[in-house]
Amino acid sequence: MDSLLLTPAETAALLLSIKVALWCAAISIIPGVFMGWLLARKSFPGKSVVDSLVHLPLVLPPVVPGYLLLVLLGSQGIVGKWLYQQFGIELAFTWKGAVAASAVMAFPLMVRAVRLSILQIDKALETAARTLGASPLHVFFSITMPLAAPGIITGLILAFSRSLGEFGATITFVGNIEGETRTLPLAIYSYTQVPGGEDQTIRLVIISIVLALAALIISNRMERQVTRKLGLRKIDD
Amino acid sequence: MIEFDIRLARGQFTLDASLKSEVRVIGLFGPSGAGKSTLLDVLSGSIKPAQGKIVINGRCLLDTDSGIDVPIHQRRIGVVYQDGRLFPHLSVRDNLIYGMRLLPEKARRYSLERITELLEIGSLLEQRSSQLSGGERQRVALGRALLASPDCLLLDEPMASLDVRLKSQILPFLRRVKEETQIPMIYVSHAMPEILDLTQQLAVMQDGRILSYGDYHEVLTSQAVLPLAQSLGIENVLVVTLAENHPDLGHSVAAFAEHYLTLPLSHHAPGTRVPIVVPAAHIALAKSLISGISIQNQLRGKVREIKLVGHRAVVSIDISTPLLVEVSEKSVREMGIETGQAIYCLIKTQSIRYLAGV
Repeated sequence: MDSLLLTPAETAALLLSIKVALWCAAISIIPGVFMGWLLARKSFPGKSVVDSLVHLPLVLPPVVPGYLLLVLLGSQGIVGKWLYQQFGIELAFTWKGAVAASAVMAFPLMVRAVRLSILQIDKALETAARTLGASPLHVFFSITMPLAAPGIITGLILAFSRSLGEFGATITFVGNIEGETRTLPLAIYSYTQVPGGEDQTIRLVIISIVLALAALIISNRMERQVTRKLGLRKIDD
Repeated sequence: MIEFDIRLARGQFTLDASLKSEVRVIGLFGPSGAGKSTLLDVLSGSIKPAQGKIVINGRCLLDTDSGIDVPIHQRRIGVVYQDGRLFPHLSVRDNLIYGMRLLPEKARRYSLERITELLEIGSLLEQRSSQLSGGERQRVALGRALLASPDCLLLDEPMASLDVRLKSQILPFLRRVKEETQIPMIYVSHAMPEILDLTQQLAVMQDGRILSYGDYHEVLTSQAVLPLAQSLGIENVLVVTLAENHPDLGHSVAAFAEHYLTLPLSHHAPGTRVPIVVPAAHIALAKSLISGISIQNQLRGKVREIKLVGHRAVVSIDISTPLLVEVSEKSVREMGIETGQAIYCLIKTQSIRYLAGV
């Protein structure tokens, strides 16, 4: 029975992971929706460059964004220094930094989900709303956003899940500090590195699988509910 | 009331359309690809022309020369689209009040109650827009546009996607809207009878240009339009009053001016005014009343005008309203038809159809 109970260190890793993942999803939503809308609906000079930059974390080895974050947002970095002096926010080697690292890695997934769902919205509906007297901003909030809701939810769940699995950028930027930045993947990695850590490893692996499955099931259910509520046609089944 | 002069080039297509009208309801007719929808998009503001001027009710919406370009949402031009474009995530009620809610209270010209009553959509309010039938959907789209209190209403083939039965669910309501509101309207269609049911003022468009504008009879028989009208098939629309229904004999009798017409059996009650469609090419001419003939309708009239299109002749006949008849040039010559002559128009009962279904 004992082997099923989590040690305080394991519980801390689990709770930290969930906290970081929730924050990651939360801070991604506004820029993610905006960027997804921008790429889906607007054409502007340099759009392909912006598009590539947004997607870069998907194709780069995660340690690269992690290193860049360290350079930029670290206590000696330009942005990091400014954040600390102006707002007293310290990112390097704190859980907030872990949020930043996973948000950067999850951002392209969020943007892709939102962009795809906005592309599926008939532009003619937005034009119709304009002829009824709605300003572009009002159209965005009353038509585009609600119709893109299934995609936004998918994006949030993807960001949450990506954050749960984030390893490379996190360990590079904020290290592997127990209770502060040691999330589930980092904890699993740590236990595999010490002799006799098999039990802990297996427990955390099972927890990771359960957590990921739960996120997927919840996202599917929410998406279906929202789709039904919006009176939209079902996307798959 | 409505004045525009627009130039716009899009690939191979050039829109070069101008019109000035003091009439409240204008029909805009033209074959597919004539540029009707593009013109409406320019008027509503969703397409910007290279050059142009639009003035509606004295309010300038666009003047490229002086840099005026009122954005779509401030133009106050309501549009009813072919596919309705109802918002799928909103209920019928929320669709209806979408534009109205954006207006200050004193700028609202109609109440939700008045419009739902006018269009008979009160029972649909709590439904999802995706649950509506085609006719209901278009009525809601019409109501939504009206509730936004527009200065002008553009109807872009609002019945094109409906079958005959569903058309009867919207046509009478369009007439009501025309009669009970004072909103200027442009009704676009490639089906002439639909337009004629609503207005006799017609603009005909082809290849991005407005060929002619005015009274439909003058327009259709003008040199610019006649070949196009003839190639598409000229149809007359007459509004007749049902007098008797004879289910046992399978026909109805209707009064029209001093004439009586035998029509296919109608399900409407006697006394109802119904628009009927008579294709010009389905009417034969005779110089005298013919007895011993199966054709039920022989309407006496007077030849007003004869126009030739190739070897076809379009004869305009005054039967208290102008009726267009298309016969061959050969018939006109052999019969010696001349203007001013008395003549009988022979119409088979089965050549007549009801515009909005029986």
